[in-house]
Amino acid sequence: MLGLQGRKFVRVLIHTIAAAKRALAPLSLLFLGAVMLTGAVRASGAAQPTLHLLDTNGRLVDPFQGHARATVFIFVRTDCPVTNRYAPLIRRLHKEFTPRGVAFWLVYPSALATTAAILNHDRDFQFDCPALRDPHHELVKLTGADITPEAVVVVTGQRIVYRGRIDNQYVDFGVTRPAATTHDLADALAATLAGKPVAVASTRAIGCYISDLP
Amino acid sequence: MRRAVHLGAAGLSAAAVLGLRLALVPASPAARPALPRPPDRRVTFSKDVAPIINKNCAPCHRPEEAGPFNLLTYEDVRTHARQIVTVTASRFMPPWLPEPGYGDFAGERRLTSEEIATLARWVAQGEAEGDSRDLPPAPRFTPGWQLGKPDLVLTMAQPYHLAATGVDVYRNFIVPATVTTTRYVKAIEIRPGNPKALHHANILVDPNGSCRRLEGHPGDGFSGMDVRTESESFDPESHFLFWKPGSQPYVEPDGRAWALKPGTDLVLNMHMQPTGKPETLQASVGLYFTDMPPVYHPMLLQLERDGKLDIPAGDPNFTVTDSFTLPLDVEVLGVYPHAHYLGTDLEGWATRPDGSREWLIWIKHWNLDWQGVYRYKRPVVLPRGSVLHMRYTYDNTERNPRNPFTPPRRVVAGNRATDEMGHLWVQVLPRQAEIGGKDSRIILQEAMMRHWLAKYPDDFVAHYNLASALASEGKLDEAVTNFAEAARAQPTDATAENGWGAALEAQGNLSAASAHYREALRLEPDDPDALYNLGNCLLQRDDFAAAAEQFRRLVQLRPDDSGARGKLARALGAAGTVLAGENRLDDAIRDFRESLALAPDSADAYNNLGGALARKGELAEAETDFERALQLNPGHSQARNNLRLVREEMTRQAAPR
Repeated sequence: MLGLQGRKFVRVLIHTIAAAKRALAPLSLLFLGAVMLTGAVRASGAAQPTLHLLDTNGRLVDPFQGHARATVFIFVRTDCPVTNRYAPLIRRLHKEFTPRGVAFWLVYPSALATTAAILNHDRDFQFDCPALRDPHHELVKLTGADITPEAVVVVTGQRIVYRGRIDNQYVDFGVTRPAATTHDLADALAATLAGKPVAVASTRAIGCYISDLP
Repeated sequence: MRRAVHLGAAGLSAAAVLGLRLALVPASPAARPALPRPPDRRVTFSKDVAPIINKNCAPCHRPEEAGPFNLLTYEDVRTHARQIVTVTASRFMPPWLPEPGYGDFAGERRLTSEEIATLARWVAQGEAEGDSRDLPPAPRFTPGWQLGKPDLVLTMAQPYHLAATGVDVYRNFIVPATVTTTRYVKAIEIRPGNPKALHHANILVDPNGSCRRLEGHPGDGFSGMDVRTESESFDPESHFLFWKPGSQPYVEPDGRAWALKPGTDLVLNMHMQPTGKPETLQASVGLYFTDMPPVYHPMLLQLERDGKLDIPAGDPNFTVTDSFTLPLDVEVLGVYPHAHYLGTDLEGWATRPDGSREWLIWIKHWNLDWQGVYRYKRPVVLPRGSVLHMRYTYDNTERNPRNPFTPPRRVVAGNRATDEMGHLWVQVLPRQAEIGGKDSRIILQEAMMRHWLAKYPDDFVAHYNLASALASEGKLDEAVTNFAEAARAQPTDATAENGWGAALEAQGNLSAASAHYREALRLEPDDPDALYNLGNCLLQRDDFAAAAEQFRRLVQLRPDDSGARGKLARALGAAGTVLAGENRLDDAIRDFRESLALAPDSADAYNNLGGALARKGELAEAETDFERALQLNPGHSQARNNLRLVREEMTRQAAPR
């Protein structure tokens, strides 16, 4: 099994999956197993990595603690206009999938965003889902997220079943569709809840880069 | 020699490292090292990056402006560093659509390849801050109005509430210009009220308030990407009144201001983008006046081919063209290309009579979001006989992500965002204001409308505008023909009948003219122009009572129209005189009194009223009116004579028999 060794590597791997999927769709499940969090080591008995994720009160929080059927991390930043334009959709998905056993977390990876700025942002855009801060980019590294907004869906055993865009409305910087034609995150969640493999496990998110750590 | 070799080698290895580290940055020609190479020292923010950012990014990326985040400090820039490298390499930022080398435009917002490479190298080398002593002085920005306090600020009557999500909104808001005398506008500026949601705005000048009928309720605005206004006088749209964030407002040079007349509406044509939360916008327009009336009169020429815009679903490469031959020498001052979401490649150029070609603009990757007006650094001089060309290409496949329809549908011209357009507006200044005693703009207008008719032989507006141009050139026969064509094209349109009548009236054919004015009034009983013209025509035909009837209706419609009030007073005065001649003295007195109520300073009317009263035997009242006539005009010999006569009569009657 391939371990994860940082973002760049993840990206290469994801490309391989995408290419393989196109050629040999049935193989995708096999490859999916490879897109596994370091945290998956926990499932095989090794020590759980200690994450220093903070909630908006500055308390340590473990998003994997609950019994959600799936956990969604949506990486956001307060000053990303693409993130903000997705706020209504994020709210809708949160409302739709929370009763079905999905835990939603907004992840603010910026080391610089103050708690006050985050709270203001949550309030202004009415995200409604719990937020956590990842000031040391531990979750960023674990999930391989690179963009805001980027969604990562994790299931039991801390397997990543989806990483990428929320939908395909943004095609590139300055290139948007009038409306999305694929609903990647919603589809991934629906498939996961139905016990089915996610058809497209990885997509390219468009938005703002997660800043490097200072 | 050795030294040169050494440098070259060092440069090469640096480039190789760069190539590796920046594997994700799209390759651009810029990445190739130029000679001489920039110093191989480490790129720092203070020395190398800040000057680029300050000049190109900070004007928008600062508080209260349109940029979604600030780019003012090292920390601001570092936290967006990879973003900056990506969007500059793809040339998404700074937004600038024209291809370099296809028109030399003022205010170009385009990074050089070296600047893009510097930004990339900075990030690749670890985003060093460097020595703060190297920092250029912080850019100084003017908060608020960029040109200082405007002479007049007009604000939208009520705020517009933009939904949190959905497609972009194109909406027009009417802002009445509260000027009481004609003012000359040298610059406009817009403060969006909410810079993050207003993407850009156009201002249209609506001299007749013709857009007001498009509003459901006053202040609501109306939707649509493109707006058409009507004007009763030939005062063509001559200036681009365009605003986009981050650009310094354009100030017209001396003598090129435009006249803003009382009663004019400004129509704010706004492009708004939902931000993810509900937004409120209440934009203000700042107007800057000058005392110098316009001496130079530019004109906007429109190349377009909307009539051919019928784009089949699935067509990746649909093209329309238009070309227009200039009837006189012009200077091209600027261009404004416009298409909607299917437009991809927009080209405009001119060919001179000698066959040489001058590019006006080429936009290889059209993006409606960043549409704008492009003004030339130096006007492009084109002699008479030069041909303006446009060629626009559209992609109506699903590979065009901006396609409003999935799956693609047939798309035709229209002003909704889901329709398509193909316009190239060209602002020209005739090199001579007059040719052979004729306003050059009329000559251009005539040529433009003939060109339009060649494309659309039954087009109402073209026939109407051509007829108007011809009429003002004194070519009345042809004007009549074209008004007739316009009326045929739109048999229910009162303005064509009215124009037709005016051309006939100018030919001296008053009875035919009256018939067309009456037809206009049958179509639109409250058409103020037709009421006025018919009244005037009837006045000339000495049909004063009927004339008064027209002017009375007009005054009821427009109580503040002083011209109409004066005409009504005149018509009533004349009608009264006729009635007095027929010995219908009570009717005459009624008309004179109504006339005086409208125009109380008319010595003639008092004299006539006095005359009618005297003939009725109301001598005392008559005396008063003659006295008033003489107060108003002591040299009024008739009134003096009448006063003498009426006093003699009063004396005689008072004398014992």
